[in-house]
Amino acid sequence: MSANRWLATGNFFTSYREEQRIFFTHLDRLIFAAFIVLLFAWPLFFELSNKYMLVINHTLIAVVAVMGLNIVTGYAGLISIGHAAFVGIGAYTVAGLATTLGDSHKLITHAWPLMIVLSGCMGALFGAFVGLPALRLKHLYLAIATLSFQMIFEWTIHFMRFFNQGQTIYIGRVHWLTGEVGRSSHYVFWYYASLVVVVITGFGIRNLMRTRFGRSLIAVRDNDRAADAMGMHPGLTKVYAFALAGFMAGLAGALHAYLYRGVGIESFTLHHSITYLAMAIVGGLGTLHGAFWGPVAIEFLDIQVEHLSAWAAQIFPAQGNLATALRPFSFGLVIVLFLMFEPRGIANWWRIARSYVKLWPFRY
Amino acid sequence: MRHVKIFLIGVAVVCLLFAAAGPSRAEVIKIALSLAMSGPTSDAGQPYAKGVEDFFKYVNEEKLLGKATIDCTIRDDQYKNDVTKRNFEEFLDMNIPIYLNYSTGSTLALKRDFEEEKIPTIPASFHRGNVEDSNYIFLPIASYSEQCIGLAEYVARNFDGGAKAKVALYIHPSAFGRGPVADLEKAIAAGLNIELVETVEHGTDLDSTATLQRLMSKGVQFVISQTVQSPVATFLNDAERLGIIAQTFGEKGKITFMGAHYTGGIDLIALAGSAAENFYWTTSYRLTSVPGVGTEAQLALAKRYGRDDQTANSHNYTNGIMVAQVAFEAIRRCKAKGNPVNRANLTAELNQMNGLNAFYPVTTVGPVTYSATDRAGVDDLQLYRVQDGEWHAVDAPFRSEFMRKVE
Repeated sequence: MSANRWLATGNFFTSYREEQRIFFTHLDRLIFAAFIVLLFAWPLFFELSNKYMLVINHTLIAVVAVMGLNIVTGYAGLISIGHAAFVGIGAYTVAGLATTLGDSHKLITHAWPLMIVLSGCMGALFGAFVGLPALRLKHLYLAIATLSFQMIFEWTIHFMRFFNQGQTIYIGRVHWLTGEVGRSSHYVFWYYASLVVVVITGFGIRNLMRTRFGRSLIAVRDNDRAADAMGMHPGLTKVYAFALAGFMAGLAGALHAYLYRGVGIESFTLHHSITYLAMAIVGGLGTLHGAFWGPVAIEFLDIQVEHLSAWAAQIFPAQGNLATALRPFSFGLVIVLFLMFEPRGIANWWRIARSYVKLWPFRY
Repeated sequence: MRHVKIFLIGVAVVCLLFAAAGPSRAEVIKIALSLAMSGPTSDAGQPYAKGVEDFFKYVNEEKLLGKATIDCTIRDDQYKNDVTKRNFEEFLDMNIPIYLNYSTGSTLALKRDFEEEKIPTIPASFHRGNVEDSNYIFLPIASYSEQCIGLAEYVARNFDGGAKAKVALYIHPSAFGRGPVADLEKAIAAGLNIELVETVEHGTDLDSTATLQRLMSKGVQFVISQTVQSPVATFLNDAERLGIIAQTFGEKGKITFMGAHYTGGIDLIALAGSAAENFYWTTSYRLTSVPGVGTEAQLALAKRYGRDDQTANSHNYTNGIMVAQVAFEAIRRCKAKGNPVNRANLTAELNQMNGLNAFYPVTTVGPVTYSATDRAGVDDLQLYRVQDGEWHAVDAPFRSEFMRKVE
C-alpha cells in the first residue's frame, strides 16, 4: 500500500487485507462520499419533470434487479433467463397482500419498508427453489430451467383469479412521517426510497464479495470441480447465489409495485428478463458497477431512440413505420455490438478511464 | 437635439418590444395519444395513429377551430404499460386537457391516475372494466361485452335449428378477451336464449384442429370470437381445412364463426383468405366496402394525406379518425360556449353529449352519446359478413337489449 493514503499510483499491496479494501485511498472515499451526497441532494435544488423522475426511478429499480442478476450470472456464471419472474414474485407479494387485505391496508401503506424486505425474502425463497436444479444442472440446461420458471410464473399469474389474471392490482398510496405521499411528491419520494435500497444493497454486495461466500462464487464460476476439491460445495453455492439474486429481484419488484402503484403481468415477461440480461451484459458481467452502467445505458438509449424515432417520423412522415422500428432495432444492435466488440461491457471502459486518471500524468 | 435622440431611442425600444411580442399568438391546444406503433397489436396501432394524425391535420388546415389549432403528440408505447405511464407523465407536463390512450392493460393500469388528474380519456380499448369505478374514461363505441352479447342476441333471434343454439366463445387470454365472458353468462341467466357450451382461451397455437373437433363433438354451431385477427385467421384456416365452416347462417352440422371489433376488418380477409368467407363481424364503424358519406370522407382524408390503400380501408384508421373527431367535437363545443379548453370543461362537454346534443360522426353507424352514467359512445352496432372477399352489411344497425339487463 502506498505510504500516502490520499494519493496512490499503481497497484501495490503488502497484505491480502489491503487488497480487499473497498476504497484504496482517502481520495477515493471522499469522491465516493461526495457522489452519494450529490445523489441525495440534487432533487432539493433541481426540479425534474415527472417523466424523467419516473425514468430515473425505473433505472434505480433496474439497478437493484441487475445487481441480483449479476450475482447469479456475473459472479457465479449461471445464466438466468427468468430474472423478471423473480422481480414479479416481489411485486406480486405486495399485490397478493393488497388483494387479501385491501390496497389501502396499513400494512401496505404504512409498513412499506417491511413489505419491501418481505418481498425480497419471498424472492429469495423462490430463488432458492428455482436454484435447486443447479445442484444437478449446469450451463444451458440450467438456463432452460430458469426459462421454465419464467413461463410457469407468467402462466400462473395469467390464470389465477387471486392475481386478477394478470390485470393490474392496485397499490394504495404510502404514508411517510409527513402523512400520505401525494401525487406531487410521489416520484421524489420513491427516488429516495430506491436510492437508499441501491446504496445499502450495493455496499452489501461489495462486502459480500470480500467474504468466503463471495470468493466461493467466483471459484465455482471459474472451475467448479477445482472449487469442490478446495472444500467448497458448488451446488449449494449456486443455490445461495440464486437465493440472493431472488432477494434482490424481490426488492426491485416491491419497489416497482409501489412506484407504479399497481402490478400487472406485462411488466414481468420474458422480454423483461432479456432486457435485464442485456443490461448486465452491456454494463459488464461480474463487476459491481457494471450493474449500474447497464441499466443507465439501456434506459438512456431507449429515451434517445424514442426522441430519434419521433424526429425521424416528423422529417419523413411517409416512413413512420420505419421510424417506430428504430427502437427494437437499436436495442438489438447495441447488444450485438457489445458482445462483439466489448464483451466486458461499459465497466471495462470505466476501469480503463480510472487507471488512466490514477496514473496521470505518468503513462505507467 | 439630445431630446430628439432620447425620443428616437425610446421609439426604437418600443418597436423592438412589439416586434419581439409579434402578432397575438393563436391558441394551440395540446393533446396526446400513446399507443402501440411497434410491438404487439401494432398492426392495429399504426392505422389508428394515422387516423388521429390525419384528422387533426385536417382540422388545423381547414381552420375548423378558427385561429386555434390542435397539436397532438403521438408516442409509441410498444404495448408496454411502463412506457405508457412514462408517456402519460410527459403529457401531463404538457398540460393536456384530454388524453387518448390505447390498450386495455394500460387503461386499467392508469385508471387511478386518470381519476386523480381528473383528465377525460378516450382509449382504443372497449373493455367494459375500463369504465367501472371511473368518471373520466369514455369508450368510443359499445363495449366488447355489448358486442358479444349483441352477436349472441343475433344468433338467438335468427337460429331456427330447434331448441337453443349451442355457442362457444373463443377469447384472448387477457382482460381484453375475458371481459365479455361473465357478462354473456349474466345475459344468459337473464333469459338470452342460447347455450354457452365452452369458453376457449387460445394460446399461440399454430393449429386448432383438436379444439375445432372438440367443439364439433359438443355440437357447437356458433363460435363468437373476442380476440385479435391472427388467432381467428388460424382458427378459420383450420376450420376450412376440416370443411366445417357454415356457408349459410346456422347451417346444420357446421359452425358459423363470428367476432367482435378487433377480430375483423380487411386484415382478417388478408390473413385468412377464402377461409374468412361467411365470417360474421360486428363493430360500430362504417366500412369502406359499404360506400356511404362517411366512407367517402374517410377515403378523401386518406388520399389527401397520401395514405396507402391498406391504411385508407382499415377500420382501425376509421377508429382513429372517430376518436379524434370526438375529442375535436368536445373542444369545439367548449370553445363555442366561450369556455376555456380544460379538463373539467371537456369532461362536462363529453358528459352532455346525449339527446339533442348527441354527436354524429359520419364514420360510425350511430351517434356518440355519453352521460354521467353512460360511458360507451356509439351504442349502435352493425353486423357485417364476408362475401366474395369483401365485407357486406347484414341488416340494419342494432342495439343489444340484454346488455341493459346485465349492466
